[in-house]
Amino acid sequence: MSDTNLKKQSLPNKIKPDETGEAPVIQVGHSPHLSNESFTTRRMMIDVLIALLPVVGMSVYIFQLYAVKQMVICLVACLAAEAAFIKMRNKSFSLSDCSAAVTGIILGLSLPATAPWYVGVIASVVAIGIGKVIFGGLGMNLFNPAMVGRAFVMIAFAGLMAASGYESLHTGIDAITQATPLNAFKQMGISTSIKDLFFGLTNGSPGETSALACLVGGIYLCIRRTASWEIPAGIIAIVLIMGGLADLMGSASDWTVLHHLFSGSLLFGAFFIATDPVSSPLTAKGKFIFGAGIGFFIMILRFFSGYPEGVMFAVLLMNALTPLLNRWTIPAAMGE
Amino acid sequence: MTDQPTAFERFTQGILPENPVYRQLLGLCPVLAVTNSMQGAMTMAGAVLFVLLCANVIISLIRDLLKPHLRIVIFTLTIATFVTIVDRFLAAYMYQMSKSLGPYIPLIIVNCIIICRCEVCASKQSVLTAASDAIGQSLGFALALASIASVREILGTGMFFGFRVLPKMWPDWVIMVLPPGAFLTFGLLLGAVNWVVAKKKANG
Amino acid sequence: MNTSQQTVPDSKNRLKDLFIFQAWLVLLLASFFGAALAGIQLTLSPKIEANKLNETLEKVPELILGADAAQAFIDKNRQMEIDRQFIEAGKKIYSVFQAKTNGQTAGWVVKSSGQGYAGKIELLIGVDAKSEEITGLFILDQKETPGLGNKIMESVWRKQFINKSTQQQLTAVKTKAAAPNEINAITGATISSKSVCGIVNQSLENLRQPLASAALNNQNPSDNQPNNNQEKK
Repeated sequence: MSDTNLKKQSLPNKIKPDETGEAPVIQVGHSPHLSNESFTTRRMMIDVLIALLPVVGMSVYIFQLYAVKQMVICLVACLAAEAAFIKMRNKSFSLSDCSAAVTGIILGLSLPATAPWYVGVIASVVAIGIGKVIFGGLGMNLFNPAMVGRAFVMIAFAGLMAASGYESLHTGIDAITQATPLNAFKQMGISTSIKDLFFGLTNGSPGETSALACLVGGIYLCIRRTASWEIPAGIIAIVLIMGGLADLMGSASDWTVLHHLFSGSLLFGAFFIATDPVSSPLTAKGKFIFGAGIGFFIMILRFFSGYPEGVMFAVLLMNALTPLLNRWTIPAAMGE
Repeated sequence: MTDQPTAFERFTQGILPENPVYRQLLGLCPVLAVTNSMQGAMTMAGAVLFVLLCANVIISLIRDLLKPHLRIVIFTLTIATFVTIVDRFLAAYMYQMSKSLGPYIPLIIVNCIIICRCEVCASKQSVLTAASDAIGQSLGFALALASIASVREILGTGMFFGFRVLPKMWPDWVIMVLPPGAFLTFGLLLGAVNWVVAKKKANG
Repeated sequence: MNTSQQTVPDSKNRLKDLFIFQAWLVLLLASFFGAALAGIQLTLSPKIEANKLNETLEKVPELILGADAAQAFIDKNRQMEIDRQFIEAGKKIYSVFQAKTNGQTAGWVVKSSGQGYAGKIELLIGVDAKSEEITGLFILDQKETPGLGNKIMESVWRKQFINKSTQQQLTAVKTKAAAPNEINAITGATISSKSVCGIVNQSLENLRQPLASAALNNQNPSDNQPNNNQEKK
């Protein structure tokens, strides 16, 4: 357990001196207070990019050029926005920590593949500007930048981003002509087969459709300890419990707990979005509670809200609670 | 009385140096609530001008009769009267506007700008000073509302004062006419104003 | 005043200490303002009430005749005689406007409301004299999501309701509307679309019979009476 906190320890140490440079910063965290130099932000971010490879591969396979286009737009816009904002704040110019690239790719994977170019650009600028830079740059942001950007365009361009925005008849790609699985179920009670959901031959955001690809990349991240396993574990545990209870309560629908698990952006969110080290809690206990809270809100939103999916809002809600979770789960010092 | 600002100073201070919204952070409820269109924002600014001017003049006229522990009651009474007049007037002559502004016209009663001006200026200075103070502060308020409303209306609907200014293909940023857009726009503009002020100070 | 209290503690100053006496200015202002407000209320309230009613009345020609015909109708300086009445049907009281041209019932406008996606939707439904067909739909008030649900206000969408038979239950469908009782739902706002259909269905189900019979009863006696709202040209 303490191993997972190593990187937590090293991350702020790496960032804060060159970001703020002035007042001494008191680090919250528990022993061992060692700093592992090989655990740099850059290495972590490159790990994330490696882990995203299967997801990117699947999305390009299914959505073809549309997925490529969306990812390139978001990637370029995020890097450009980062460069511009860094310059505006007179900071030393550095894109080499790759964090903007990760935000860009995750954003590109979470927007509808067919969304027009300006959606990606605006989402990226908001993600970097309002999601990150305004709080003081990487390491200071309260919310997951990619999700801030996505939430902004989701409300700004509701027509393009709502579940129906995913459907388009003119792309020549089979998946895009269908309703997204969650929406098909919510609106018409049609459930998609588990097999399609697992391999990802369905409509949705490019990154989210394939449960298999998300699992492969996610497990790699957890093994490398770049992502804390507690967070996805918490999410999946709560989704299993709540989905299982709904099954037991005998709702006649054939949307089972496995459908809940493999559909929508649940696994993509659990492994790649919720695990953002900056906006999630520091302690192992806090991480588990954080994950459980996300799982809880996802299920509540899926069951009761007007939206078919709730991962984005769940992550943002729990991001807001992160400082509180940190405070609640400070471990007792030795001997107390 | 010598240390009190003159009428002209009161007037100019209200517009920029002591702008009620950007510098004093007062009256933020209407700033956030009615700035999704210029028409609504300017109606609100006009209503505030009327209420503030009338309240300041009345309070200034009776300033020697005020008892310290009863002054707030009198301020509130006066403000509430003029707010009610504006509210009824809008409902009678600008019905659609009154409907779209909804509760925010009656809520001018609790707008801190007005009670603040009554307290700071009108209850201490002459009628002329109080009136020019009211006009200056209202202009500052109107400027602030206009700055936020123009950003929100143009980005959110592609229009300005109800006239199309951006090409028809402009994708409306719906979020800008919703409450989150108000917070974002106001926050960013406030940051920009603070940045300019800090820069000016640094330059001497 | 405070200084005199301490030096001369006689009965006169005790009177001054009474709250009621201290508050003379408050009382005076309150009565003065109160009177002024009462005057304003008296002068303006008829106009405000008229505004509220006009909001609905203005829409009546368009809802019954259709937008173009209504414009032509107004251009010709013709007027409709509009009677407001309340009809109780299906446990609800509906405010119904009977529009007459030349003494003949031209149609009805029903004010109705119901729950939408984000709040109450208030709308006006126009039907022909025999209440067989819908002649118009107008949304008075709604709180649906901007950009999605509030598209129910757009005339392009509302036009779909025109000429639909009142005998059937309208349904909002996501695919292209094919059957005569189908309305294209707004993409991304199925719930708002369905709510409007639901409100229309329920109101018409309740009112179809009463309106049709009222129109019949009304026609005979008023036929031979000349009407002051006839064509003025």
